Amino acid sequence: MSLPSKLQEIVDDFAGMSRDEKIETLIGYAESLPELPERYKEERSQMEAVPECMTPVFLIGEKQADGGLVFHFDIPPQSPTVRGLAAILATGLNGCTPEEIITVPADFYTPMNLEEAISGQRLNGFRGVLAHMKQAAVKAMSE
Amino acid sequence: MPYAHPEYLVDTEWVAQHLDDPNVRIIESDEDPLLYPIGHIQNSVQVDWFSTLQHPLRRDFLTKEQFEEVASKLGITNDTTVVFYGDKSNWFACYALWLFQYYGHNNVKIMNGGRTKWEQEKRPLVKDVPSFARTTYSAKEADKSIRAFRDDVFKQLETKKPLVDVRSLKEYTGELLHMPNYPQEGATRGGHIPGAVSIPWAQATNEADATFKTPEELRALYEGKNIKADGEIIAYCRIGERSSLTWFVLKYLLGYPTVKNYDGSWTEWGNLVDAPIEK
Repeated sequence: MSLPSKLQEIVDDFAGMSRDEKIETLIGYAESLPELPERYKEERSQMEAVPECMTPVFLIGEKQADGGLVFHFDIPPQSPTVRGLAAILATGLNGCTPEEIITVPADFYTPMNLEEAISGQRLNGFRGVLAHMKQAAVKAMSE
Repeated sequence: MPYAHPEYLVDTEWVAQHLDDPNVRIIESDEDPLLYPIGHIQNSVQVDWFSTLQHPLRRDFLTKEQFEEVASKLGITNDTTVVFYGDKSNWFACYALWLFQYYGHNNVKIMNGGRTKWEQEKRPLVKDVPSFARTTYSAKEADKSIRAFRDDVFKQLETKKPLVDVRSLKEYTGELLHMPNYPQEGATRGGHIPGAVSIPWAQATNEADATFKTPEELRALYEGKNIKADGEIIAYCRIGERSSLTWFVLKYLLGYPTVKNYDGSWTEWGNLVDAPIEK
């Protein structure tokens, strides 16, 4: 099963980068993660918490008219790694259908070889965020 | 009542006054490794608990020789005052300090409040990575009096000596292993080492500015759970990082003479065949 094209593109980009480029690009993603839209700020409780991360991470998948999902995150600026990883997933999967999202393999990021930049332990957060995006996708399918 | 060994702490102002001091090396050690490249204290160097300090192959720290190489590359001499700071209440800064002590570097300090306090005070952060002339560092033999291995923990159980579990309460009760769709990485069983008391590491710090609590507060916290100076204490968490902060607090802020960090922690104990577990 192939990845959604945008996510595949990001994976391929990272695969060809040096360690320093990976760090720089991750920081770029972290800084690009949009702020949580105002409409969710008061209702963080309806968002999904990701307890696998060492930092508080909240996300919500918003169903669009065409059936695609758009994800919003709330992750503190003191945690640029988790922000960067979430921004990669958001960039790679925003607009995808719930069906496309749930078929993304949990180890899709292996070819990115992020371990050399941020160490394997920290990729737990990546898996955690993806797992919760999938839960949001499953929920969207039943709505 | 002062801290038992206040010389192991410096404040942010002290660090600001010693940025160019050739006898001082400032080291940032974070949970999040991207914080240093985004901005760090001028003339500080980065040490990552995993990519810098762990053995590349085995589950262990660097060997003595590998540690000497790291210290030499960072321009640290045996006389350098090494000051650690980091994110999340200095949790990984304490881990790095513990490892430096393991190889006999005793002239170490924590910048109280870490990155959080430095940023709150709007002190400058820079992106320039400094380089220092290489030194020839000579480490001592590993100081096993501050590190517990699993056999030490079994002995601790037999002799009913105190164990402190510093993980979150849900990890202590084993509840976190039952997360739907996401088996918690690291351990096949949940719970805690029998008899261990739960004192989550973060209770030793102030949430507002990431500094350590006062000596009175710390004493009440630990003595209240029967973790006292005359006990030979072993602290553990999941992989030994959070418990290194508790180790620092008990050993230097409260002055307990015998405290060990069990870095095998739950990812070892929760996988160990035949090891007793309590829930």
